[in-house]
Amino acid sequence: MNRINQKLQEDKKLLSIYFTAGYPNIDDTTSIIQDLEKNGVDMIEIGLPFSDPLADGPTIQDSSTTALKNGMTTEVLFNQLKDIRKTVNIPLIIMGYFNPMFQYGVEAFCKKCQELGIDGLIIPDLPVDVYHEEYQTIFEKYGLINVFLITPQTSDERIRYIDSISNGFIYMVSSASTTGTQSGFGDEQTAYFERIAKMNLKNPQVIGFGISNNETFTQATKYAKGAIIGSAFVKHVTNHGVNTINEFVENIKN
Amino acid sequence: MKLKVCGMKYQDNIERVAALQPDYLGFIFYEKTPRHFDTKIPEISENIKKVGVFVNAEIATIVEKINEFKLDAVQLHGEESPYFCSILRSTSLVSRPIELIKVFSVKDGFNFEVLDQYENVCDYYLFDTKGKLPGGNGYTFDWSLLNDYPSTKPFFLSGGIGLDQIDDIKNFKASNASKYCYAIDVNSKFETEPGLKNTSILREFINKLNDKKTMNYNVDEKGYYGEFGGAFIPEMLYPNVEELRQNYLKVMAEPDFQKEFDQLLKDYVGRPSPLYFAKRLSEKYNAKIYLKREDLNHTGAHKINNTIGQILMAKRLGKTRIIAETGAGQHGVATATVCALMGLECIVYMGEIDIARQAPNVARMKMLGATVVPALSGSRTLKDATNEAIRDWINNPVNTHYIIGSAIGPHPYPDMVTRFQAVISEEIKWQLREQEGRENPDYVVACIGGGSNAAGTYYHYLHEPDVGIIAVEAAGLGIDSGESAATSVLGKEGIIHGCKTLLMQTKDGQITEPYSISAGLDYPGVGPMHAHLSKTGRAEFMSITDSDAMEAGLELSKLEGIIPAIETSHALAIFGKKAFKPDDVVVVSLSGRGDKDLQNYIEYFKI
Repeated sequence: MNRINQKLQEDKKLLSIYFTAGYPNIDDTTSIIQDLEKNGVDMIEIGLPFSDPLADGPTIQDSSTTALKNGMTTEVLFNQLKDIRKTVNIPLIIMGYFNPMFQYGVEAFCKKCQELGIDGLIIPDLPVDVYHEEYQTIFEKYGLINVFLITPQTSDERIRYIDSISNGFIYMVSSASTTGTQSGFGDEQTAYFERIAKMNLKNPQVIGFGISNNETFTQATKYAKGAIIGSAFVKHVTNHGVNTINEFVENIKN
Repeated sequence: MKLKVCGMKYQDNIERVAALQPDYLGFIFYEKTPRHFDTKIPEISENIKKVGVFVNAEIATIVEKINEFKLDAVQLHGEESPYFCSILRSTSLVSRPIELIKVFSVKDGFNFEVLDQYENVCDYYLFDTKGKLPGGNGYTFDWSLLNDYPSTKPFFLSGGIGLDQIDDIKNFKASNASKYCYAIDVNSKFETEPGLKNTSILREFINKLNDKKTMNYNVDEKGYYGEFGGAFIPEMLYPNVEELRQNYLKVMAEPDFQKEFDQLLKDYVGRPSPLYFAKRLSEKYNAKIYLKREDLNHTGAHKINNTIGQILMAKRLGKTRIIAETGAGQHGVATATVCALMGLECIVYMGEIDIARQAPNVARMKMLGATVVPALSGSRTLKDATNEAIRDWINNPVNTHYIIGSAIGPHPYPDMVTRFQAVISEEIKWQLREQEGRENPDYVVACIGGGSNAAGTYYHYLHEPDVGIIAVEAAGLGIDSGESAATSVLGKEGIIHGCKTLLMQTKDGQITEPYSISAGLDYPGVGPMHAHLSKTGRAEFMSITDSDAMEAGLELSKLEGIIPAIETSHALAIFGKKAFKPDDVVVVSLSGRGDKDLQNYIEYFKI
């Protein structure tokens, strides 16, 4: 069974962390992954940086720009990850925009992911219908779970469609926003979380965008299986370096 | 039924015929015919198979031609034996798989038993009229003989087929004799001289033959132009884009929308824009050059055609807040203008670097009541301004409409923008009829960044194969200089701002920053329709350097008293590069006026 599905079966709320590969330094990738696992993080999204990340706010865009300047590429990332499964057991997801994958070759990319022990992909600008028609069989051939996003504006009908195509979890974007622009959840979001929870979807939901501390993590996981933290972690690394990851994770958990 | 056009000879003519999208083009390698092919085959669509026609040639000669011209098929017109065919089919000297067509000449009768020996050594038969020459005799044989065709191998029907045979072909198609007829082969009946095909008669034939079969250059129901286009958007944008997709055609078809759009184009924009015969320019370059004066529109360029259309669309969709991206500021000004006109809030994203470079346009936008927000991310130019506008839309999904300024972005934007700009070619058609007595020029020419003025200039000519389409990109300091914006040459298929198109990028798929002296042409992608026109060969793409464009701008100023925008100067610069015939009617989209570029011209020419 795919590590993501295994993890989702565990009887706990999941903490998932996103970081930008190649940031702050090109060689930080594996040590960040190892540190996150050591400190009890349940799942990791490894951000493959892109020059034009449409769905991201300034924090992740800036970290991506720096990572690219540092020399991060698809090939470099794959090289860095070549022995990752010797030391890391939690699910690993690559999150990135479609064009770098398209240039690498979608099938070659998926094949490489399988070889490295990557469990899934999140590609914000690959729409579910294009995935369904053109790429689903390739992802499945290489045992990869593709994770789709839904937002407060996504219709119930489309959520059902996305649920039917998904085979891991659904990434619930907490509000109409890019990453890193929210602080705290209001009534509107709570209503949305409740609405989705009541839909009894086949796939568990993990909430992302706007989770930055223990309070928002607790709020989100009241309604969902887990929560993803991205911008807040990238900011932490920017401000405090990569040696205090334990402090960041502890603050979220307590 | 497929179509083969045989006896191609001249480069230009090959391109024109290829634009009609036949299934096969034939090149005769036989020195005794006036159609003997002895030049180069230009780049044509991969969908068209190239057939080499030979008459009792040596295997070595045929192999050499296959490899040299990348032929897809070989047609044997002499007394080649079955053994000869089998050798040719199995030789490892050929670099690519080929189809083998064996020709049989038919007169009063035909002994079909001859075919038996060829059943396993060729892919198709071709039945031609027996005459003095091996092919090209110009008359038909009695097709009813094919009622006795004993084989199941598909065949080409050939020999003297012309426009006069349309009814005969239709009858033939309805009869049993055509059961295995795979293709129609035409040649001499469409020629003005041996080897030179008349494309307008050929087009008429094709339309009649297929009850109008033509390549579609418009968007399909899924939002694609061939393999380009689509909507590669994050889920956060799906509701906005989907709302627009479901409504845009419906709204545009509403009579009151049409009426308001037309009225504003007339009274506010000042349309129709003149189609001006540029006498002195024409004399200099020895062709009949017309300028479509989009520079005379309100705000000084074609951009306003689109913003008028989109602001009316936004109002009908109940939107109260407008966002836009801008590079040099032309689209920003055009958007701020229509927002002022309609009393809607307007936010324009503009790269921080562009804000510094284009102070007068920033001031204009502010005077018109718009808020100009600097894009501080990435390279801080047009592509980043576009990213910021898209992010704004993600954050404001309900009340906001995003007015994209070019024929780019996720479906339906490229099509919607093209339709609003299509007024340009619509006017050219009737204006040219008034002045030249015909609707179709020989060429339409436009500069391309994202490609909205080009899309509008081409739109009503896309499916008129006798109209050559010329697209002019900015070569910057030169194609190979590393400082260029010639996307059709330097770009590869990829995804930018929500659509699949040709795109300048690194090997790793990171989008690169293009360069051109003209701020309106330095976009790293190109509209998906243009990517399709490039890929299919329907449009001829040229690239013009900064210096050639600047000189062309100065030349038009001095010859015609019109100072063009530097973008437009690129389109004008082709006259030094491409040869036209004296009676060629060439319409150039004069997309914008040069006021905004005065400082650039001053510095460049030390005026």
